[in-house]
Amino acid sequence: MNNAFNLAWRLFKHEAKRGELTIILFAIVLSVASVLSLSLFSERLQSALTDQTAEFIAADRLLDADKPVDPQWISKATEMGLNTTKQVYARSMAFGNQQMTLTNLRAADQGYPLKGELKTSLQPFGLGQVTEELPAAGEAWAESRLFQALGVKLGDSIEVGDSEFTLTRVLTEVPDSGFSVFGGNPKVLIGYGDLEATNITGPGSRVSYTYFFTGESSVLDDYYAWLEPQLDRELHFWMSVEDDDSPIGRSVGRAEQYFLLASLLAIVLAAVSIAVAAQRYSQRHYDPVAIMKTLGASKSMVQRVYLYQISFITLLGIVLGAIAGLIIQQIVVSAIADKVAVSLDVWHWRPLFIAVFTGVICAVLFSLYPLLKLFSVPPLRVLRRDLGAGMSSRIVQFGATGSAILLLMWAYSQNIKISLILFVSGIVLVCALLAITYGLIALGRKLGQGKMGAWQLAWARIKRRAMGNSVQLISFSVTIMLLLVVLVMRNDMVSQWRDQLPQGTPNYFLSNITESQRPGLQDHFAQNGVETDVFYPVVRARFVAINDEKIRTEVTKEDDDKPSQGRNGLGREANLTWSNTLQNGNRIVAGKWFDGSTTKEPFGVSVEERIADRLNIKLDDILTFNIGSEVINVKVTSLREVNWQTMQPNFFFVLQPEVMGSFLPTYITSFNLPSDQKAKISTLMRPYASITLFDVDARINQLRAIVDQVSLAVEFILILVLVAGSLVLIAQVQASMDERQQELAILRTLGAKGSLIRASVVYEFVIIGVVAGAMAALANELTLYLLQTQIFQMEGSLHYAYWIIAPVVGALVVGILGAAGCWRLLTLNTSQLLRKMV
Amino acid sequence: MIETKHISKTVNTSEGQLQILQPISFNVKAGESVAIVGASGSGKSTLLSLLAGLDQVSEGEIYLDGAGLHSMDEEQRARLRGEKVGFIFQSFMLVQSLTALENIMLPAEIAGLDNAKQLGQQILEQVGLGHRGTHYPNQLSGGEQQRVAIARAFITKPKILFADEPTGNLDAANSDKVEKLLFELNRESDTTLVLVTHDPELASKCQRQLHMHAGELTEITSEESTGASANDAQQQQAS
Repeated sequence: MNNAFNLAWRLFKHEAKRGELTIILFAIVLSVASVLSLSLFSERLQSALTDQTAEFIAADRLLDADKPVDPQWISKATEMGLNTTKQVYARSMAFGNQQMTLTNLRAADQGYPLKGELKTSLQPFGLGQVTEELPAAGEAWAESRLFQALGVKLGDSIEVGDSEFTLTRVLTEVPDSGFSVFGGNPKVLIGYGDLEATNITGPGSRVSYTYFFTGESSVLDDYYAWLEPQLDRELHFWMSVEDDDSPIGRSVGRAEQYFLLASLLAIVLAAVSIAVAAQRYSQRHYDPVAIMKTLGASKSMVQRVYLYQISFITLLGIVLGAIAGLIIQQIVVSAIADKVAVSLDVWHWRPLFIAVFTGVICAVLFSLYPLLKLFSVPPLRVLRRDLGAGMSSRIVQFGATGSAILLLMWAYSQNIKISLILFVSGIVLVCALLAITYGLIALGRKLGQGKMGAWQLAWARIKRRAMGNSVQLISFSVTIMLLLVVLVMRNDMVSQWRDQLPQGTPNYFLSNITESQRPGLQDHFAQNGVETDVFYPVVRARFVAINDEKIRTEVTKEDDDKPSQGRNGLGREANLTWSNTLQNGNRIVAGKWFDGSTTKEPFGVSVEERIADRLNIKLDDILTFNIGSEVINVKVTSLREVNWQTMQPNFFFVLQPEVMGSFLPTYITSFNLPSDQKAKISTLMRPYASITLFDVDARINQLRAIVDQVSLAVEFILILVLVAGSLVLIAQVQASMDERQQELAILRTLGAKGSLIRASVVYEFVIIGVVAGAMAALANELTLYLLQTQIFQMEGSLHYAYWIIAPVVGALVVGILGAAGCWRLLTLNTSQLLRKMV
Repeated sequence: MIETKHISKTVNTSEGQLQILQPISFNVKAGESVAIVGASGSGKSTLLSLLAGLDQVSEGEIYLDGAGLHSMDEEQRARLRGEKVGFIFQSFMLVQSLTALENIMLPAEIAGLDNAKQLGQQILEQVGLGHRGTHYPNQLSGGEQQRVAIARAFITKPKILFADEPTGNLDAANSDKVEKLLFELNRESDTTLVLVTHDPELASKCQRQLHMHAGELTEITSEESTGASANDAQQQQAS
């Protein structure tokens, strides 16, 4: 026991000092450092982003209810150290200047908003300033549209229910106002204390209560665990930022998936490098094992010696890796400090745990097979140097390492789908590469014939080391593939985000434009240098029946401005539009778009897929709408997928134009006005008091800021993975260079010119690089297709450019690394080389 | 000390079974020195590997100091080697990442001796390398490495020493030194020596010479005619 420990320690000490453990130690350090820095960074980044996203629901968690909840629930939250506040939403008429309009009334309690900022201005459509206050008793703040609709100004009074309020500020930005382009009715904010006197919360009124919570995420989870059993699914709705289905929520969600993917890939990279290093380590120790066995060491002693040694290496690797990981993430965080404020104050234990776990599992599982091989080295090797390990089973090796990788990915991601996608692509790649290796050997026999030049030497080496090369080829290919996956995924994702909000995205919407106003408005805007977008005709209708069966469910969300669209607050009113052409960002998923074949009633309607699903609407169903006193029946001819993330008017129901001929529509349009030209709004709108203006500029800016930050974060993660991947490649070339040492020494001894040796090594690496690059491009397509369609909910796409780029870059990088490694060896003189071989 | 009864070795090749060692029987007495000579590929290293328990016989029986090697498994043979056998190899077979002294200590440590370091230092002095204890094998010349290997072989005072071409990798001057040292230590510790060599001069220094040819063994010098010269051996072989 003691002897084995001493011997292991002595071997470890000397080998470490002599640099013989560098490669395996480096592999472990790299795996721990990359996993730690990546997951630490992404965890911190995620909490920074989540924190920012939380602004869009004005809290970390929300509880929605139809009635006030048990006060004990709130006091419990306070007791647990959470911050809470509440807000009541009601739809109510507001009267002023002898006009009236429907408003979304909000009565906010002290502390609102817990996250994000309220902005107000002192003139309608003015630039908002952040405020910490809430309306005082008897005061109300209203959105610009209310001033427009009622023709009132600051200082005027409006009546809501039984109370009268003085308008003291214009409400320009409310954090939790959702992302619906048409924010519904203008918002009016009053103090919570004024609500009761209005008497609008009585029975039959449409009122909902929202409770806001912020605090440590673990405390919030604990609180929810306590609260959940008491919640009634019908009456209560609990929501966190993660449930946020807005474009922000989805962008951040996707970024989180990306971070997860990147970390998983880092784990696989680490595993690959450790597997390669462990194999090399095992081979280097064949002789010592044979010697020890010859000198009488029992199998168990040999096992103990090497298990101790692997433990020492792992321990040292983990410690060094953890230090390196911390330093790396510190550097990255300070590099992006001015773009995304990532807090270093909160220490996350999970990444450290994961990194250590990865280091241990990788070191143990990936060195298991090489160690088993090592233990099986027969003592007879001392006499017969050609004898290698007694056991050899590629199936065991691939099986063990493969399942270990899958297990690790699964344990880390808790997501079997993403793990399986990466794993299956890996398996396909490995099988293809094995086939290729054997193909190359056959090909090499033909190509490598003739006078012994650098080219022939290169082929001869590839042929002779077929199996060794296949492992190397696999590791190169996997590394290149993983790098391609993170690179292409990032490009696709970021460009998709940018596409959502290209420069010139409309930031103002106009509705209620009459047919007669339309041409004049277009000209007036054009004269002021503002281009209007497409004019969509709209008719307000009431959705009443599906196949003559009356519907009770409230249908659309177009009237609602609350973020918790999921359960309540939906109106039965719907905006109907009609068109012969399918709108941008829409895709038919069932049936056919209007092709003019329906010439008599019932005419066709195209329904948005999700609402169809919710209301159980199928193709060929007959839908009934009331428009004023008219009733129209239309047949469902297609279901559409709508990209709600585009900032454009989207419709649940698009009808065939023929059916709407007799109705007088109003129009919706949009335009872009740079934020710095905001003052122009009053000039633009002055002649059109009856047209409703929706200002989404602030929303778009918020969205853009988040997308930019998320993109930047993704970019940094990409760089981290690229660096880790490159280091793995270097380590692999280094490891394989050692194997070539002996041959180089012999060639040198026989008088081969340096240029011949160098060229032959470079050719060899270039051949390997080209094959690895090509195979990586192939596997990359498969992985990306699966990832994009199954995980990221994106359109799958092909990336032809990488079919060329990958082999070329593979050849260049691997070739250059090979040449560099070879140069180092060739700087040694022959006797040094021979000595190194011993 | 060594007793063999009809031992043979057969290996499986792609062309079927190949008998690389024909049935052989011979004995080696305690304290005797025996050289196994023969051309490359004649089977002498195979015979050595069987005698030393590094490989299993296909047929026959081998007794090493009374213990039946042929019926032991790898673990038992390893234990026996640790207790009774020392080795010297043509390619020295030193552990590259251990120093000279640590290489010498290795068998003693494997055997669980407490004073391994002290013994190692002592024997290192004896082979004239007391000052090179902290050097790694690749910092030593071939002759020095083989002296370290000899020291390692004798540290546990084995009853039997097997040497495979101990001077095969050395120049004449170093060969002489190593030979001298080997026989000197052998005599001092009264060890039974079995060595495989090409070198007739080295072989002639052994009491007996066995000649291997195509897997068959012929005795060149009888147990009685110890110290016969290489010339004698060749003459006998010719006759």
